[in-house]
Amino acid sequence: MANYYNIDDILAEEEFVPVVFHKAANGVIIDPSSETNSVEQGAKVELPLWLAQDLYLRQAISISVPACFNQRTRLEIQADAACVDLKSRSPYFYEFGCKIAPLVGDKTIEILLLSAFKIRYKEILTKAYTAAYTTASKFLTLLTKEESNLYEAAQVSMSAFKKWRMGGPRLQRASVLGRKRRSFE
Amino acid sequence: MHGRKAYELVKEFANGDKGHLKIFNNELFEQVIEECNEHHNALQSLIRKMQEEGLEVQTARNADHYGAFIHHLSLIRNKRCLMAYVHNRAEIIRELAWKVGLLHELPGEIQEKFSDLEEQYFKDHSKSLKSYMSQLSLDVNVDMVPPKDPYIKVRVLEDLGSGIILSDKSANFARHSMHFLKRTDAEQYIARGLMEELTG
Amino acid sequence: MAGQSDPHISLFSAEELEFMAEDELIEIVPNMRMDPLNFICVIFKSGDFGPFFPQIASQVPLWLAVALKKRGKCAIRPPQWMSVENLTRVLEGERESQGAFQVLPFHYVEISRLLFDHAREDIPDMYMVRSLIEDIRDVRIHKVETSLEKFSGTSAVKIPNLSAMEVNIIRPFVGRALQAFYKHDNPEKIPDVDRASSAQTRAANNEPRVSATEEITDRFHF
Repeated sequence: MANYYNIDDILAEEEFVPVVFHKAANGVIIDPSSETNSVEQGAKVELPLWLAQDLYLRQAISISVPACFNQRTRLEIQADAACVDLKSRSPYFYEFGCKIAPLVGDKTIEILLLSAFKIRYKEILTKAYTAAYTTASKFLTLLTKEESNLYEAAQVSMSAFKKWRMGGPRLQRASVLGRKRRSFE
Repeated sequence: MHGRKAYELVKEFANGDKGHLKIFNNELFEQVIEECNEHHNALQSLIRKMQEEGLEVQTARNADHYGAFIHHLSLIRNKRCLMAYVHNRAEIIRELAWKVGLLHELPGEIQEKFSDLEEQYFKDHSKSLKSYMSQLSLDVNVDMVPPKDPYIKVRVLEDLGSGIILSDKSANFARHSMHFLKRTDAEQYIARGLMEELTG
Repeated sequence: MAGQSDPHISLFSAEELEFMAEDELIEIVPNMRMDPLNFICVIFKSGDFGPFFPQIASQVPLWLAVALKKRGKCAIRPPQWMSVENLTRVLEGERESQGAFQVLPFHYVEISRLLFDHAREDIPDMYMVRSLIEDIRDVRIHKVETSLEKFSGTSAVKIPNLSAMEVNIIRPFVGRALQAFYKHDNPEKIPDVDRASSAQTRAANNEPRVSATEEITDRFHF
């Protein structure tokens, strides 16, 4: 479990998936439509991935494809992948997709992820190195977490280079200390 | 939904600026631990119920079993979130020793973000770093940026007075005074924002 | 690399690359007499430099040349490749071929910056030289971006003749992007790597890195 402490991995597993219970479960309040504190067999519930994952492996539930990988999203990605607001669908679109694909037994999700990433990767590359921040800022709101990390990686290394080229003091106040509060007498 | 509070705790950490700490959310942290206890109790009472019904807990797959299983998973999830919260904060805390230096106490604005245990953790960590360095007879906490000249020009930004003795000189480090100091002496003062390097 | 620069972002900071470049040899013409210097040295065959005599050219590491120059003890002879003639030819070459990169010293960005900072009067046509080098660097960076646009799978990326600084600028982006491509190309063997943790922690924990990425970034390396 190399990802045990990974914040993004934890957050990705909080994405909800639609499930159907094949077994009843007592003493749990996870079905909002149920009046007792139990889940009936056949109940349709939305569960976070971390819970659904293991229940699925115990054959207690079946999982269907979550909304963010539905036909509409697929068509939009096919039409113009770079313009789709993936962030609002899931900030962990790719990670979530990788985790859910084997659970719903849908190979096309993986193909979808790769084709979306291929196109969006190019867009991130050009925006990161050439476009001014103002023109890129609208595009940035569409990006998933990993995509914006990618954009940021490009930006930060480029600006670190530019800073070095400009010269100036080599030793600086640690950035963790926050903004300098200059007090004038 | 199960694990929601734990998620909020992790989310709060994720929303912070990279490498910066927010105030340790003791309230939420305690609530998640409380939730863990509740899951634990629910899990046990379901198991007890199965035992009372004379079922083999290891193999029986009834509604109580799945209920207990859900509580078990929720407990593990909560634990993972708590661990990740503490672990990732500890990583930032250890980095402080390198970024801000061990010369002085940490500034209040950082200290106030710590929980009591984290404060102790930083102290212990600094202590072992210091003893390691003294055994090496080498200060590995300087030259974070590759060195150039052994001496640099600095301006004092906050009144440090004359109580400071550096490796090769002592002076009155009044605010705005300028000095020519050994780079390795000045480095931690600069990192702390008490001096700034002058170039050109 | 522990440093004040964010360890999550890049393996080396520009300052660290500059430090490495300072080990490159360069010719100086001293104006003083000085006994030989004997350094402990692992990079060159020997760490012995000098003895130095006035007006007799001698090879020293760049950091030593700069230190002597700062004290007015020598003139630095700019390397052959820094002539206007050569740089003009290189720039033309860069502009003509879209795919290939001209051969320049691995540390040409850092070396030229150090010489512009400390030995400007020793460089003939210094302003011309500087603007040529800047143009060359801009054209090359642009070309790197264009060639990065082309890749869309996990086949190894090979861009020969990139310099240290150029590789360093694109490394964080390329490393991450390749990792993502690798993940989506091989969904059945998704690497369990903690990408959020710094290279530092990873090295400290002896965690394995994703081998494919490592192999590919290694090719980028040199």
